[in-house]
Amino acid sequence: MKMKFGKRLQQQIQQSFPGWRDKFLAYKKLKKLVKLISLAPSMLNKSSKTEAEFLHLLDYEIEKFNTFFMEQEEDFIIHHKELQEKIKEVVDIGWGANANGSPALEMEDKMEKIRKAIVNFHGEMVLLLNYSNINYTGLSKILKKYDKRTGGVLRLPFIQKVLEQPFFTTDSISKLVKECEATIDAVFPPAKATGMFHSQAGNTAVLVAGEDIFRNTVAALLTMQEIRRGSSTHNHFSLPPLSLPDSKIIQSLIVLSPIQIPS
Amino acid sequence: MHKLMMEAKPALSIQRSGGKQLSNFGFPGAVTSFPNILNHKKESYPKISNSQHVSLEKDLMQRPPTVVSPFSSNNTTVGHIYSSSSGFSTDLQFSSDQRQENHRRQSPFISQSTSGGKSVVLPHPGDPGVLQSTASSHFNHQSDSRCPRFLDDNNGDPIVYQSEDLGKINEWKDWADQIIIDNDELASDWDGLLGGTSFADPEPKFETNKSEQIPATPKDTCATPGRCSSGNAGPTKQRMRWTPELHEIFVEAVNKLGGGERATPKGVLKLMKVEGLTIYHVKSHLQKYRTARYRPETAEESSDKKLTSIEELSSLDLKTGIGISEALRLQMEVQKRLHEQLEIQKNLQLQIEEQGRCLQMMFEKQCKSSLDLLKGGSSTRDTDNSKPGGGSISLSTEEQETAQPLIEQQIPKAKVTRRCDSPLSESAKAPHDL
Repeated sequence: MKMKFGKRLQQQIQQSFPGWRDKFLAYKKLKKLVKLISLAPSMLNKSSKTEAEFLHLLDYEIEKFNTFFMEQEEDFIIHHKELQEKIKEVVDIGWGANANGSPALEMEDKMEKIRKAIVNFHGEMVLLLNYSNINYTGLSKILKKYDKRTGGVLRLPFIQKVLEQPFFTTDSISKLVKECEATIDAVFPPAKATGMFHSQAGNTAVLVAGEDIFRNTVAALLTMQEIRRGSSTHNHFSLPPLSLPDSKIIQSLIVLSPIQIPS
Repeated sequence: MHKLMMEAKPALSIQRSGGKQLSNFGFPGAVTSFPNILNHKKESYPKISNSQHVSLEKDLMQRPPTVVSPFSSNNTTVGHIYSSSSGFSTDLQFSSDQRQENHRRQSPFISQSTSGGKSVVLPHPGDPGVLQSTASSHFNHQSDSRCPRFLDDNNGDPIVYQSEDLGKINEWKDWADQIIIDNDELASDWDGLLGGTSFADPEPKFETNKSEQIPATPKDTCATPGRCSSGNAGPTKQRMRWTPELHEIFVEAVNKLGGGERATPKGVLKLMKVEGLTIYHVKSHLQKYRTARYRPETAEESSDKKLTSIEELSSLDLKTGIGISEALRLQMEVQKRLHEQLEIQKNLQLQIEEQGRCLQMMFEKQCKSSLDLLKGGSSTRDTDNSKPGGGSISLSTEEQETAQPLIEQQIPKAKVTRRCDSPLSESAKAPHDL
């Protein structure tokens, strides 16, 4: 039985960082408004009031997305530069240190920290992209519902405007993501360029790191898959089902419970 | 009716009442921001009286802003809270005025809470910029004839959008100059203030009556200055949209001035020479920069992300035996996968909307005259203009279904093309294969 988008969105929100949770689309509320609008005959005061409320809320949500997104983006840009600087430092020192015979362990430790930092940074950015995407999807769905229920033509022009919004024009972040990938490959060349779960064959549920980012990312992938399975608003404007070759394995990666560290 | 709403709306958005300020931000733009949509809707719904609309505005204005907290209380980035402005798609630019109004009513230090505002995308770094210490420089680029009144009074100075505020322009100017001059002093005060305290008053308080409605000319359709709006369709905020290139310039300037701790916002602003950039933008960015650089622990804590430390990761490694390296690799793979899927999804979405847009145009053309595009389209489709929306073009279910082959043909294609003509003409014959 397929879950509704609203539920999926909620799941995604639960999985996301605490500070992000109230930044997602108020899907439920918008849905309620659409319902109200469709029930009230359009001649009455109430209908136009609710309509206005609906439009205003849409506006407000988009504003919320934009502000949040740009804030995160700014932070990421700054962080990216700092990471680059750190990498340069360590790599430079690295060569120097090796030549002098200084403790390689320190170097390794530093490299490890940097690697972790890059991977986490990459993860955060991807999650921001996911944030953008899921909100867009929600908006699109709610507008479809609106058009469907009221016979209006709000969706098309509205979406055209959404496409231009800062929170949707994510190329800058995408670029940073790719740069991170390139950096990781360059500075930490992959030992074996095997498939994602090649070495994990056999270990399923046990695998996961306790990282919030990791959990969040896996959840996002699965949510995406579920959302695209088909919905009440499905028509030719909908996306085809997601094909994730490793989806079974990804599913098994979900942390069942946080692993306690005995102190 | 429609026009009246447009006129009333700007009044809303320029409300200076603090407590209600945010209630304006989400609201005022919504109706006026989609004049086209409203045109369509006008035809689909019976006309509603003017008075109803006006009373609607009043209603909304007085509604307590339940939406305040997401904006103000969860902002954990040191130093910058945004008071967002009106509807995202309006071109209403008022925040410069509003920000200054804020300042006038409180001490300048607290006014940072309102320096959010506009989102502006800066022009390319290489542009020679006249140093503009205010946010209004981009106003000078306005060539929209619909806002003539705002261009003549000020000689390039910040432009105010309220008729009643014209008299206050000079006051504003003087105050702004003062602020800029005292900046260095201010900078250290900022740090002191922001380092220790949280924002006691995220919503600036205003004295003016929040319910006053000021009749105004339709300023909400002022054209966006080209330079500041590249890539950004909502230039109505003080919010700056930073890019890596811009940040580069920033860092260069900061380094020239002796590093993050020593550089002052004023100095950095001068060195950067980017038109449209204000001292407030620089200030907030510098704050973030300092936090990221010199106080990374603070940055981590305040980031709401609660990243698991490396210790936790290594304990897991012990349990699962996969090793940090492997765990990181796995994490990276999953992230890459998600990114990949997001890109694909986005491309599809863009394609779909593009198709929709083309279809819309197609039907509109059809409605007007030519049937050539469809090359002998079936008569049912041609004459099926009796939609619930009356004169408006809406894609009814049948049309959507006939359009389906068009879409399905296009989606497998990798490239997103913005040109409507070619894909459609190629597939125009497809419906007949149904």
